[in-house]
Amino acid sequence: MTDKEVFQKIVDVLAEEFELNKEEITLEASLYEKLGLDSLDAVDMVIVLERTFNLKLANEEDIRSIWTIGDLVNFIVKKKAELTVE
Amino acid sequence: MKADVVIIGSGISGLTAAALLAKHGKEVVLVEKNRNPGGSIRQFTRKNHAFDIGFHYTGCLGEGEILNLLWQHCGVLDKVNIIPASQGGYDHFEDPATGKVIRGYFSYEHLEEELIANFPHEKNGIKTYLKTIRTNCQDVPFYKTDLPLLPFLRGYKDQVNSLSSFLDKTIEDRLLRSVLEAPGFLYGVPTRKASVEVHSLVAHGYYSGAYKVAGGGQSVVNSFVDAIRATGTSLSVNAEVTSIQVKNGAVTGVTLYSGEEITCSQIIYTGHPGQSLALLPPSVFRPAYKSRVRNLQNSLSMFAVFAESEKFVDCTTGALNYYIFPKTGEILPPQSMLAPNQRIMLMTSGAPASSKELHGHGNDVTLLSTGYWKDVEPFLKNDSPRRSPEYTAWKADITDKMVTKAEERWGAISGTLTPLATATPLTFRDKLSAPSGCTYGAMHCLGQYTPDVRTRLSGFYLSGQSTLMTGVVGASVAGLVSAGEILGLEDLWRSIRL
Repeated sequence: MTDKEVFQKIVDVLAEEFELNKEEITLEASLYEKLGLDSLDAVDMVIVLERTFNLKLANEEDIRSIWTIGDLVNFIVKKKAELTVE
Repeated sequence: MKADVVIIGSGISGLTAAALLAKHGKEVVLVEKNRNPGGSIRQFTRKNHAFDIGFHYTGCLGEGEILNLLWQHCGVLDKVNIIPASQGGYDHFEDPATGKVIRGYFSYEHLEEELIANFPHEKNGIKTYLKTIRTNCQDVPFYKTDLPLLPFLRGYKDQVNSLSSFLDKTIEDRLLRSVLEAPGFLYGVPTRKASVEVHSLVAHGYYSGAYKVAGGGQSVVNSFVDAIRATGTSLSVNAEVTSIQVKNGAVTGVTLYSGEEITCSQIIYTGHPGQSLALLPPSVFRPAYKSRVRNLQNSLSMFAVFAESEKFVDCTTGALNYYIFPKTGEILPPQSMLAPNQRIMLMTSGAPASSKELHGHGNDVTLLSTGYWKDVEPFLKNDSPRRSPEYTAWKADITDKMVTKAEERWGAISGTLTPLATATPLTFRDKLSAPSGCTYGAMHCLGQYTPDVRTRLSGFYLSGQSTLMTGVVGASVAGLVSAGEILGLEDLWRSIRL
């Protein structure tokens, strides 16, 4: 999956599952400040991402390092690449 | 009517939360849709026998332990008579394949000795297992009560260690493995879906001590109800909440089936989280949360036969519960084609009477076996409060087989058994408002994140077994946490430990 494809999928799924405006979901947008997600949404987010990208995201450190949509795209791309290598 | 907090459901979570909130100055209304308070820990009676639905024994009631602290703070401790299992108390685990009996002592030291004596070649594995259980509970404030609550409760927890994989690496003997898996019965998760972490939380309590309460769960319920009423808190039974009102993103009250409205700014919902959605306007939660909560996988159900025993079943000699494992296969498989009497089955004695001695209330026992929703699926076509004759016949047949097996194995202890009532997954579903008859709420298992007590709806909190942990201890702790979210978690925690 290319970065662009991952980004597009993230936009679609966050808009759908978290009722966000697609226009607001930019690479720079901060999940917490701009998009208004908080720690209570973190688990829902993990579940949605795991399902969408068919991944396991069970590492607290990883999740905590994600601040923007751009971070999230990079993270998913990296995880996907790791899976292909394995 | 007006209140600060409305608590929906009067099981041990709701009772605990109500007592804590009232003690700390909140005006509380506790509403229960059934005729009697107590949820799964209340008793019901048949022919002068009082049977416990869910409260057979518990851990964490020793001095300084979490349940003891909570009950003391709630003004309940000195109203109930706690009876610790005798020195050398144990669960009796029987392997039908070999006839071998292993004693599951409620003590790490005794248990280790017993297991090593029976499985000397597995000494290292036994030590590793027990050490892992202990270590996993070191940072848990409900066991180490000098720890703060917030670091444990907040944030995202990963739960990735599979109990099966851990046991595959650690233990070889099939019977030993079954004995170590057996605490899974106390949280209703098939072994293959269980995590080492959750297993540890439950097993640690059980390996640290077991307690019964004189008069059973009903005496706990009664003591809580008295304590709550003494604070001026109102408890309404036959009071089903049909909707929750929300304004500007915060709860404002509830409406009861009778049409009565209660205005409030906070609500604790103790039922299954999936069922809370039907009470709320659909727009309050996002699709991600709603589908997660709606699709929670639930814990196992049970078959329970409540019987009068010919003999008085005495617990003072050591065995608190008699378990028999299935002849072949796993003790807690994800599904089972075996008849309930061929699955893991246990016999437990009735609640002790109100005296210092640990002995039965009289001559009654409960037989328990695991239940699966698939077991009752054939009867769902004509699902109505009035059960079909086919269902009644099927239930009678299961009752008969479970009784026959218990008499065969444990007749020397119990004498003949006369069944007075039987519960199936359908019974649990309907009597306890438990989807798919789950006896331990949503599963705390691999790959599932159970919902937080806090929700995104301001003033709306979840509680009960599906949130933090299962069983009497888990549900009580959930009650503590839901009250703590309203009162201030660390402040409440500090005052409980004083």
